[in-house]
Amino acid sequence: MPRSNNKVADDGTSARPLQEGRALVDSLIKVVACYRHLASCVGGCTDSSSMRRDLQQTRERAQTLALSCRNHLTARLRDKTLPDDERKETERLWVAFSSCLELLHTDMCKVFTLVKCFSPACNSTMVQTGIQGGTTEVAAQALSLPDLQETNNEAQTSSMEGQEQSQLEQEIAQVDRTLEDMELKVNVLRWTVEAQGPQYADPVSTDSTSLALLSINEEAAKRFCDHRQMFVAMIFCAVAIFAVLLSVCVVLLA
Amino acid sequence: MTIRNARDHGQRYRPRMACLKKVETVVLEMQDPKSGVKSQTQRLVITTIPHAITGEDIVAWLANRFKIDALEARAMGTMMVAFGYIYPLQDHKRLILKPDTSLYRFQTPYFWPAQQWPVEDTDYAIYLAKRNIRKKGMLELYEQEQYNNLYKWLNHKWDFIVMQAKEQYRAGKERKKPDRVVFDCQERAYWVVHRPPPGTVSAMDYGHERMVDPNVVEKKTSEYYRRIIMFTQQCIMRPRVKSSVSIGALVKCSTTYKEHDPFLHPCLPSNPWLTDDITYWNLNMPNVEIPTKMRVERWTFSFGELLSDPRGRADFRLFLKKEFSGENLAFWEGCEDLKWGAAETMKEKAQQIYKTFLARGAPRWINIDGKTMEITVKGLAHPHRYVLDAAQTHIYMLMKKDSYGRYLKSPVFKETQRRAIAPEAHRFSDAQLEQNGKRRRPSLSPIILRQQEEEQKAKLAASGPVDITQLCRFTAPVPHLAVYTGICEAQSTASPGLMTLPNSAACPSPISVAIDSTPASERRFDGNGGPSSSHFPSIAEASVSEEENQPPVPKSRMALSLSKLLRRGCNAPSVFASLSPKCGVTSGGGKVQPLGVEPLAQPQSRRIANFFQIKVDIPPECRIYPIDSEDEEDDGPDTARGVKEIICPWETVTKQDGAG
Repeated sequence: MPRSNNKVADDGTSARPLQEGRALVDSLIKVVACYRHLASCVGGCTDSSSMRRDLQQTRERAQTLALSCRNHLTARLRDKTLPDDERKETERLWVAFSSCLELLHTDMCKVFTLVKCFSPACNSTMVQTGIQGGTTEVAAQALSLPDLQETNNEAQTSSMEGQEQSQLEQEIAQVDRTLEDMELKVNVLRWTVEAQGPQYADPVSTDSTSLALLSINEEAAKRFCDHRQMFVAMIFCAVAIFAVLLSVCVVLLA
Repeated sequence: MTIRNARDHGQRYRPRMACLKKVETVVLEMQDPKSGVKSQTQRLVITTIPHAITGEDIVAWLANRFKIDALEARAMGTMMVAFGYIYPLQDHKRLILKPDTSLYRFQTPYFWPAQQWPVEDTDYAIYLAKRNIRKKGMLELYEQEQYNNLYKWLNHKWDFIVMQAKEQYRAGKERKKPDRVVFDCQERAYWVVHRPPPGTVSAMDYGHERMVDPNVVEKKTSEYYRRIIMFTQQCIMRPRVKSSVSIGALVKCSTTYKEHDPFLHPCLPSNPWLTDDITYWNLNMPNVEIPTKMRVERWTFSFGELLSDPRGRADFRLFLKKEFSGENLAFWEGCEDLKWGAAETMKEKAQQIYKTFLARGAPRWINIDGKTMEITVKGLAHPHRYVLDAAQTHIYMLMKKDSYGRYLKSPVFKETQRRAIAPEAHRFSDAQLEQNGKRRRPSLSPIILRQQEEEQKAKLAASGPVDITQLCRFTAPVPHLAVYTGICEAQSTASPGLMTLPNSAACPSPISVAIDSTPASERRFDGNGGPSSSHFPSIAEASVSEEENQPPVPKSRMALSLSKLLRRGCNAPSVFASLSPKCGVTSGGGKVQPLGVEPLAQPQSRRIANFFQIKVDIPPECRIYPIDSEDEEDDGPDTARGVKEIICPWETVTKQDGAG
């Protein structure tokens, strides 16, 4: 989703900042989703320094986005002259933003604890989770950049790790503070916000291969039976045709 | 509002989860490429995924590592699967370890169960929405229900949830296919552990949350040391029992109760927690007509067991009623009521109990020794919850040593034993068990149960009479205090306008009327300055005049006097003893006032066989029987002295002598 960060000349309509707010929140949601995918790999067999770097970069991106989002939304909500329906919309965005930030906060805390236990230096203690590929594509999507290059500095020294950890700690504290400030500055009553979207998200049925893979184990036996039946039927038909041919030949020859 | 980790007030530490750290170290040990569990590849149709392990390998590794046998290793492996550190690849809903070639995989550390973070509903909603995105209608029934509920509760962030689900789905698509499959499996396994399908046992049930993190090592501050010192001092001060004694008690307890423990012995017909069939609870309701054999057997274990079971208590009450010694149980129940009841009615209850059971001339006088009586009466000057404790213990011991033994040999108990039922054990098939699970219904609301209890108590109080050792018209039962379950036969109401007492005799008593009409709280203060002699003539006259107005009086008077005579029959020796010169000495002494001298004009009528079992255990010079006004009237001049209400001794400020 493109991020429209550039302010076009104000043409007097108030749709612009609303769209901008929505776009900001959307991109934050996207980055947080990618962060979660990356975080799920920490401690697994694909955990490496490059992955940690991706994680860090995604996180930093999320932080900057969160900051701009917060400023934007706070400014909008404190604006007393906002018309009602726009206020509702902004409040909805606000709730989405705060939930997103809470999700990010939880993920960051989890990563913080995991990183303490699992260091990419010693690979033997990593949990063999079955993941094979890297997470570069996910990180790339998060950062909206084409394929990241495998930069040098493969081996992260422990001092860098320590630095990273303290930085993470600081950032967690920062998000904490952000959340608190948000609650103090703008009072959005949660019970007044109503969902506008559908209860069920639209099913994206284009890609069903993973589904097939997942259900393969449960249906393997069933499919096998079906195959067998089909196979038997085919053989039967073949035999029948053969018999017909033979009889025709016999008749012809006779 | 969400709980943020730093600002969390620490109320969320889950006690039984302290083992998680240990399981984590074991899991990490299993990863070792040399000495860990050997892994295989899982072959799917399109691709292969590495790092799959078989159940038997896990069991073998655990048995080898911890030097335990295969069964225990299997149990330990099941525990690891139940916690979510390893998840099954086939049959993902059953979190057990199968020691065969079925495949498992390690869960990624992100999805490990954690002490600090509770599992958020938001995440669950996102997960369900993602599954729905992948294929509509893929949610199971219970997941569907939960999804709808979450839609209601988390409605304000629902847009966010849907959007986040979409974005996570899209981000997942960026990954390679096998990785996507693995991630989906991981997430699915995580949610099977933390939101288990209904009817399954979850390892995540952990009870109350604690304020202190059990995994954190406490810093040794002075506060900490002060606590440790206090704790050890209390340990030293604790009374000790010889281990032979305590072990003997333990052995005795376990042999007695081992068949009654539903954990150790299957309960009949079936354990409702296991089979979802509530026959067992229905058969063991508190006031069921016919108890089960196991229940009746429990009553024979100890007196406390009998009393704590409401059905047992009712049976015992019936037995005591037949023996005419129900006042002990009634007193005990009254004391229990006092101890556990509301604070506002406590004083009244204490009053009532005293008047009904303890005072001289009380209608349901109980037999406790002089010392206990002294202590009790002294305490009743400033009543509190436990003021009747000594007396209650005494009576409890009395019942236990005396009545309980007789009860167990009595026909009442034998009849109950005979009629007790022993239900057959259920044998449910799997399909039936599922059916039962679906038919589960919530039990009766506790409000309704409480109402039923109150109705029961009221019924019991209204039905009666239970047993009256002495007739007394001077204490009126106050219906709004459920002090005792029987009533005094001789209570009466003069006029319909006043409080009607159940089963009241027709004979009026102005004093009791006066008592009735004043609320209990006032009764303490007025009319209790002691019936000074100036009152008596008026009262006597009033009673005389009242008597004449009531036509059915003579008959009941006759009946009453006859029963009184019968009761007094046993007191013949004490009557004669009272003639001894000792009698005069004690009058006016002691805290409880004697009620006057019994009329000596009818010694011969007292030689009647001891019809009722009266427990008389007081020194003969103190009179226990109330002097009823009828007898007084017969005796004429003695009337003035005889008419006396039962006063609570802590209320009299002035001591009275002789005729008071």
